[in-house]
Amino acid sequence: MTNAVTNVVLELAPHFEGYVYPNEATQQPLWSVLIVLYPYITGLVAGAFIMASLVRVFNVKALEPVYRMSLLTAFAFLLCAPLPLLFHLGHPERCYEVMMTPHLTSPMAIFGFVYAWYLMAVLLLELWFDYREDFVKWSESTPGFKGILYRLFTVGVTDISEPAVKLDHRIGHILSVVGIPSAFLLHGYVGFIFGSVKANPWWGNVLMPIIFIMSAMVSGIALCVFNYMVLSWIRRKTVDMKCLDVMCMFLFYALVIDAAIEGLDWIHRIYSAEEGFQVMQYMAREKLFYTLSLGQVACGTLVPLLMLGLLQLIRKRVPELARRRMYFASAALIMVGVLAMRWNVVIGGQLFSKSLRGVMSYKMEFAGLEGWFMGAVLLSLPFIILTVFIKLFLAEKPPGGQVAGGSR
Amino acid sequence: MRRLFNMPPQVLRIFLLAVGIVSIYSIARYILTPSSFREYGWYRGAALTELQQRDPVFAGRKACEECHSDEELKLAKHEHKTLSCEGCHGPGQAHVNDPKKENIEKSSFAACVRCHEANPSRPKWHKQIVIKEHYTGSKCTECHVPHSPTEVP
Amino acid sequence: MSNTVSRRSVLGKIGATLAGVLALPVARTAKAAVQKVLVSTGAAKGYDPTKHKWVMAIDANRCIGCGLCAEACKKENHVPEGPYFRTWVERYVITKPEPGSGAARGETLVDCPEGGMHGFPPISVPKDEVQHSFFVPKLCNLCQHSPCVQVCPVGATFDAPDGAVLIDPKYCIGCGFCIQACPYGCRFLSPITKTAEKCTLCYHRITRGLKPACVEVCPTQARVFGDLKNPVPDDPIQHFYQNNRVQALKPHLGTEPRVFYAGIDKEVR
Repeated sequence: MTNAVTNVVLELAPHFEGYVYPNEATQQPLWSVLIVLYPYITGLVAGAFIMASLVRVFNVKALEPVYRMSLLTAFAFLLCAPLPLLFHLGHPERCYEVMMTPHLTSPMAIFGFVYAWYLMAVLLLELWFDYREDFVKWSESTPGFKGILYRLFTVGVTDISEPAVKLDHRIGHILSVVGIPSAFLLHGYVGFIFGSVKANPWWGNVLMPIIFIMSAMVSGIALCVFNYMVLSWIRRKTVDMKCLDVMCMFLFYALVIDAAIEGLDWIHRIYSAEEGFQVMQYMAREKLFYTLSLGQVACGTLVPLLMLGLLQLIRKRVPELARRRMYFASAALIMVGVLAMRWNVVIGGQLFSKSLRGVMSYKMEFAGLEGWFMGAVLLSLPFIILTVFIKLFLAEKPPGGQVAGGSR
Repeated sequence: MRRLFNMPPQVLRIFLLAVGIVSIYSIARYILTPSSFREYGWYRGAALTELQQRDPVFAGRKACEECHSDEELKLAKHEHKTLSCEGCHGPGQAHVNDPKKENIEKSSFAACVRCHEANPSRPKWHKQIVIKEHYTGSKCTECHVPHSPTEVP
Repeated sequence: MSNTVSRRSVLGKIGATLAGVLALPVARTAKAAVQKVLVSTGAAKGYDPTKHKWVMAIDANRCIGCGLCAEACKKENHVPEGPYFRTWVERYVITKPEPGSGAARGETLVDCPEGGMHGFPPISVPKDEVQHSFFVPKLCNLCQHSPCVQVCPVGATFDAPDGAVLIDPKYCIGCGFCIQACPYGCRFLSPITKTAEKCTLCYHRITRGLKPACVEVCPTQARVFGDLKNPVPDDPIQHFYQNNRVQALKPHLGTEPRVFYAGIDKEVR
């Protein structure tokens, strides 16, 4: 740093170097791990939905086996998305204000509406129109509590004649088309929340929403790969290799675009070297070494790019088992890498002072609302919910003897 | 088959559900928006009056002058005339409300040093001394009168 | 079969909507009752915010770094103990360049021990290595295009008509977006109220004719305060604007701050 640092040791805040504004010298950054998780979870939702829409909108027939699972994944994760936000608010009991008096100049104000729209008008409706025929059939043939549940889900409509089912498919198709920009809005606005903060040079740039959207797609597709392979393994079924190959092809190309745009961001920053560049470079090298250089770049981007890229070139010569292992490893690495990316954006932006003269540290606590443990709970909750959904909606042997997610 | 609005039943149900949800939202918005909202802008107008209602802790120099006019006269002739009483004597509203000696601070050595310790960051026109070279005791009032600094006691 | 199901459910829903419409007076009473519970409506007003335009200016040439302002603010506004400051004083020390280096200046060292509340310890470099040194009091810059107000999702922080930028503590949800958006670091999240807090220009004082606490105790008139819509004879703020070349902080961000600084340096952020 050209401006040398005086190590001012304050009794209360010995964890920064250089000069930081007095209000920045807190023990924890204002937006901590909970705010890292929220974009991660909504990103997974958006990506899983795009995966599903590849089947309905772009007619990629090979991905049919994962269509319903992708939608259910998106649904399970979407249900958990508001939780980190709610836990983070200083006054969660006032959360309704965001929908009652939304301040339209704020990107955050759009949250309530975009979330409600995406949950109800896109995801739930698409799931319902896709499952409606099955709900009617299952409600007739399943006894007990499950049967009542299925009957509830039919909303009283029992017409499953051919024209009705055809209408369902058409509506589902329309919803998928509407869903794609909705998914971009759902996650793009989060990127814009950061991209709009001109006070913070790490956040406030025009590429931020695009980077968020692209990494969301990558993480969502990786999650679908992961879920599909884990589910097949649990059920001891053979993975549909064609489906997996196509999924990972899309994963590879999405990763290429994502890496290119993130790389562009870096190159531009380094090249134009604006005022805050010195302190940001110092912060990235010292404070974010593990999460940025190792986590996001090396493990989360370069290694999967190599593995997946190799498989695109010589797929036919690689035996199935090795391919499956490489796909699984890539998916897992990418998921960790995108989480690291969210960490680097959210926490990284708060680790240097707006005075551009100092850097702070962040030691995560274990317990407490913003600690390790809560983060782990919030990340595992969607998987638990997904398990329940799979048991209800994606059973191996559904009542009536039909294969769930069956052929169309 | 006669269908209301010519909509197939599954679409109709969803449509009515949507209408229901929007109505509930509109009603909730009407009830839960504070009444003084949008009085001056996108915020509760009542907040302005609420923020005005906190009690001051510092009284302000005029309040001191009401009772301590002789100190005021002394100060008026000398260098400290623009100083606030509460800068050296601490917050005074409690004393104004209940004028007892216990409710206000008597000033001290630390108060003098705070402003007059020599320091390269301080502007040159400001009177400052290197305390160690100037005086080794603990009561500046031995030689100086705070309310009329150029006077000798 | 599906006919009667449709008709019944639809008639039921129409009935429900009619009932809702007829219940409008009931809704109004309900709203009033809910308002009482949720958010109070405050007392009657005697002060008209549209008739004033408060502003502060900083004359850094006159600041002696005593820190009385930061301490007074903490006491006046019951600011929580710890790294929470509505106003603070920074010290800038610019050292002489290395002899023979061909540079105009040496390093710039900035510090702000506890907001400057208890004054400043001696500088860490010897006196003869100091080229310039000065103090800069900082506070909310009263932006005309406040980014903090722009990003509040619920309308809890706002530009009051009389120039102050205020926070409604009963409405703030504590999301922290405004704190992230302020380029000057003047906001913080109070650990006690769990809402955002910032300099209010001592709103409770200026609306009853007093001066903000920091202006009140400043011994050298480094902080200049006034009402631009109601100038007084010998108005210090008018003197300030007439007699000084001024700067604003971070002008490239387009926030249009109304707080001007006289006597600061290019190193001040």
